[in-house]
Amino acid sequence: MSVKGIRTALPVILGVLAAAPSFASQRFAHPLPRDKTGVVLTLPAKYPTNWAFLDYASERIEIRDVGDDSRRVIGEVQARDSTTMLIPKDRPEFYTADTVWSRYTRGTRTDYITVYDKRTLDPIGEIVLPGRKRALITAQQGMFEFTDHERLGLVFNFTPAASVTVVDLVHRKVLGDVDIPGCALIFPSGRIGFSTLCASGTVFSVKLDAAGHVVSHSESKPFNHLGHNPLFTASTMIDGVRYFVTMKGDVQPIDMRHAAAKVLPSWPLVTPAERAAHWRPSGWQLVSSDAQGELYVLMQAHAHEGTQKDAADEVWVYDVATKQRLRRLRLVRPGSSIALTHGAKPTLLVQADRRLDVYDPETGALIRSLGLPGLDTRLSIEPVR
Amino acid sequence: MADFDQLTEKVLRGFASRTSRRSVFSVLGGMLAGAASVPLLPVARADGRSAAENPNSGERTPVYSGNPQDPGDQTRCDYWRYCAIDGSLCACYGGSVNACPPGTEMSPICWIGTCRNPADGRNYIVSYNDCCGGILWGRCNCQRNEGDRPVVRAQNNNEITWCFGVKSQSYTCTVSVILGAEPEKK
Repeated sequence: MSVKGIRTALPVILGVLAAAPSFASQRFAHPLPRDKTGVVLTLPAKYPTNWAFLDYASERIEIRDVGDDSRRVIGEVQARDSTTMLIPKDRPEFYTADTVWSRYTRGTRTDYITVYDKRTLDPIGEIVLPGRKRALITAQQGMFEFTDHERLGLVFNFTPAASVTVVDLVHRKVLGDVDIPGCALIFPSGRIGFSTLCASGTVFSVKLDAAGHVVSHSESKPFNHLGHNPLFTASTMIDGVRYFVTMKGDVQPIDMRHAAAKVLPSWPLVTPAERAAHWRPSGWQLVSSDAQGELYVLMQAHAHEGTQKDAADEVWVYDVATKQRLRRLRLVRPGSSIALTHGAKPTLLVQADRRLDVYDPETGALIRSLGLPGLDTRLSIEPVR
Repeated sequence: MADFDQLTEKVLRGFASRTSRRSVFSVLGGMLAGAASVPLLPVARADGRSAAENPNSGERTPVYSGNPQDPGDQTRCDYWRYCAIDGSLCACYGGSVNACPPGTEMSPICWIGTCRNPADGRNYIVSYNDCCGGILWGRCNCQRNEGDRPVVRAQNNNEITWCFGVKSQSYTCTVSVILGAEPEKK
């Protein structure tokens, strides 16, 4: 086309372009309504049981819908270092324990509990923890726990001297500290109190009064073989009994219903043939349970020293009453952390690298898979109760 | 153990002072050239170089000790000293295998692992000291757990932030310091 031709055609082209919106507006007779500004969503006071809290250790805590194919993010709260959370069943708030520095990685250190409103996710309160001693360990079970029907919070400290700070969560104040030399992590026991696992291979139990003072304490005989077959510290509760598994494939139940934890007889997860094939528990949050008393354990074949925190290929399910294995679920991707949701029809959540896979716990069928963008380290999963 | 440490340090320092990195490579190169003549073709040499060693690749540069008794890329998780590490490798943050990056502080309290050196077949006691107070941004994450035990046995646990006795407990990266070799069996 010559320059003159272009000049002739240009008005026609522009006319067509100018007419285009009018064709579109014929299709859509009315413009979109004006949006309201300043809208901030809120959440229901009682969260549905198909939601789960996901703790990206030291990055963020995310609430996700794991029960719907929308797989949507419900909301997030901040997390800076070794952040752990406590989600009360009935109170309209939840808690995170965290540590920050006034100049990001330097400056004054502050350990604190944040109180969040469940409906708005607004921080509505704060409890500063004294002594700058909160344990900075990859976020895991046993670092921040409830006792006394969720009235008191217990925070594990490690400097490396070990202690527990007792906090009144309702009145938002620190009650005091309990030294637990040579022991680690918190496992609630009795009505008010806790037990802790010790380097001597024992479990040490502390009974508290309502003011958080020590009433009595007791210690079991050594049972935890820390060198060659230690308990993983991840555990799950069934009817007041806490079930741990060991590195080489045994179950160690500990009765937590009374002030003094009682070590119950251990039993094997594996047959002699499976033990010889080096089937062992492995992963991070590697055990879970359901309301029927079934115990779920991440299991790995050909395990050896150094693979104990690797992702596992299968989940094995046990009836703890009969100590029998009920089924084996083969995962589509190796999983590191597991949890069961608490609804009428539970699902099995499995963190596998940067995915959260949702399985039918009866059939082992994969239902859906959620992306976990930005997950670089361990994930702790807490489904809504 | 202290005598052995001093002897090891003396031997290694002597070796290092007498032997330049280039001379080690020249000796190795001579041996390789003698062993195989086919790879001398330019195409074969180009293919034999890893992407990371290509200065135009944009990838992380490998870091070697230059000592054949201490083999491996110190920016990679499979380097032998990292057998019980869980964290970020300081060699990727401006530090080295056994030195913290500038602007950080090394914690004197640490956890301990035992790693087998594939070159000399000895088991070495390695201390994993955390470097603290700098920026952590996820480069060179490395998780290996040989000999790792739950936090109940703290000295063998690699999930703890071992930033104690330092100004800031904010974690940056981890170094792997040889404390000594397992005594020889008589």
